[in-house]
Amino acid sequence: MLGAIFRDSLKNLSSNLLRSGLTMLGVIIGVASVIAMMAIVEGGQVWLVSSIERLGTNLLFVWKKRLTVEEKRMFAGRNLQLRYDDALAIRERFPELQVAPIIEIDGQVKAGERDYSGRITGTSQEYGEIRNFFPGKGRFLTTADLHEWRRSVVLGKTIAEVLFGTQSPIGKEIKIFMGVKKGGKDKQQEETNKQKGEKNEKEIVGEYRFVVIGVMQPKGEVYGQDYDEKIFIPATTLLRYFKGNNKIGQMIIHVPDRNRMDEFTQKLHQFLVQRHDGVDDIRIRNQGEFLSAVEQTLWTFRIVLGGIAIVALLVGGIGIMNIMLVTVTERTREIGLRKAIGARREDILLQFLIESTTISVIGGCVGIVLGIFAAYGFGNLVAESMPGGGDWGAVIKPTAIAIAFVFAVAVGIGFGLFPAIKASKLDPAEALRYQ
Amino acid sequence: MLITLSHINKIYTTGEVAVHALDDLNIEIEQGEFVAIIGQSGSGKTTLLDIVGCLSYPTNGDYWLNGAHINNLPDSELTTIRNRQIGFIFQTFHLLPRKSALENVQLPLMYAGATRTQQHDRAAEVLTMVGLQDRLNHHSNQLSGGQQQRVAIARALANRPALLLADEPTGNLDSQSGNEILLIFEELHRQNQTIIIITHDPLIAQRADRRITLLDGRVVTDEFTEPRAQAVLQGI
Repeated sequence: MLGAIFRDSLKNLSSNLLRSGLTMLGVIIGVASVIAMMAIVEGGQVWLVSSIERLGTNLLFVWKKRLTVEEKRMFAGRNLQLRYDDALAIRERFPELQVAPIIEIDGQVKAGERDYSGRITGTSQEYGEIRNFFPGKGRFLTTADLHEWRRSVVLGKTIAEVLFGTQSPIGKEIKIFMGVKKGGKDKQQEETNKQKGEKNEKEIVGEYRFVVIGVMQPKGEVYGQDYDEKIFIPATTLLRYFKGNNKIGQMIIHVPDRNRMDEFTQKLHQFLVQRHDGVDDIRIRNQGEFLSAVEQTLWTFRIVLGGIAIVALLVGGIGIMNIMLVTVTERTREIGLRKAIGARREDILLQFLIESTTISVIGGCVGIVLGIFAAYGFGNLVAESMPGGGDWGAVIKPTAIAIAFVFAVAVGIGFGLFPAIKASKLDPAEALRYQ
Repeated sequence: MLITLSHINKIYTTGEVAVHALDDLNIEIEQGEFVAIIGQSGSGKTTLLDIVGCLSYPTNGDYWLNGAHINNLPDSELTTIRNRQIGFIFQTFHLLPRKSALENVQLPLMYAGATRTQQHDRAAEVLTMVGLQDRLNHHSNQLSGGQQQRVAIARALANRPALLLADEPTGNLDSQSGNEILLIFEELHRQNQTIIIITHDPLIAQRADRRITLLDGRVVTDEFTEPRAQAVLQGI
């Protein structure tokens, strides 16, 4: 009998295609938006996680903590600041870790008549491997470069092209200036910096010759930083020639085992505080924290977008209820006749419930297909319009499809229930003679 | 006794006014009778049809159909009784549109729980009985009024009901089609089918063996045609 009722409901729906189609439209839009929005959020997650992990995995970031004036006074004379020898000590104490110190300064590079100003990064041989960033031509920095304070430089791809065009820069000489020569706009900047009481490094202007030993592979932009515009020199060389001290800005540390990240965070913290005469002036962040922060943001998106989609689906459900109420009224005489010849209440209930569910199931299926198209369409749009967004594709999970479908069916049953109950309760004698 | 109506009252209350549609009605009908119930509009014919057809309960009084005390049964059992014991025939045919003759006749069989094969075979059988063997797959809009009413008769007969209940069955038909319908009723009557026709037309009522005239919800006359009357007189 179920089969017969189902065939009947299909027949009824197809007898008024425009009306059925318009009713389904609500469900279609609802389901499509659930699918599309979930796919976009999932895609965003994959993109964000991969863009974080593109720069290496299992990383710990060590910074110095900014101390208050009071703290500075209190701890005066103690061993503060993150220093290059901290990096060496860590390497010695924890041989299983890979440590890359990072010092960044503003500078200018010059080859013949062409020049370029950008950030110069002093680091160690470990950097490339840790950040998953390798030279395309030549080599990266080596232990020897660091030990001997060599004036070796590895150029980002864009910089190599700016300075040398199509020529190979390997073995060529370039000049590196520290800071920007005085005059114009920058002078004003210096003034403000002075007012803030910060020591302005740009005042020191050095100029040294470096030999290009390598050019990095293209990496593109990650988190607003263009890795193709980076210039790498040995950390020791940078400290010796451009800074005159051994303070470093940051350390990136690679932990071999993901499960030991927390353990090493703790150990390193303890170790560094000890080295800093018991002053806690460092901050260690776990890459996992970034990931969980991203995760949290994405959950917010999921809830907001999912909420919108579900509202759309509910509106679709109200559309179903509306049309089913009209249908029940239109078919009052049919209901009366069916009851007169032996349809029980539950037969009538089932008949109308199956009809509303059929609307929502068909609408749901169309919505799934449409949602998948919409999601991929959006993925392409992002890939074309957003710099670095090339990998943000829509990710459609089977669970998303299942959730959307279950919701659609639930809406069909939920909103079909009231009209169906109404139909099943009609008085047969009155219904038969309804005009 | 197939039908016993004893002191049946039916009162409709619409707002302040109470309408006494049936007023202490007593009727008994035996298996195999062909009865016409005659009356003006407002005489209570339709209300009587609803009660005899188990479509509604009397306000008070007792109704027995084939041994079942109807006014004590729940709605769900009335549904079963309508399905198995009563075949309805309406003035406006009440066929479902977009369905073939066969599908319309299958409906009561479906609600009775017959298998699809059983439904098909029985529907084809009764449609053949009413002379529509060539119209099994025609939809109602492809059939004439007389043919539609014959489909409705076939549908009423599908579950071999104890009682055929016809409400102005010829009211929407021309006299020739109407006559064909009445001929079918007469043939069914010869096969001992109990039939009640509700009509306001004395000529149609003439075709039945027994005529019950209603006025203001009461029986005013209850007369038999000759053979039956004689049989009653002779105590058979």
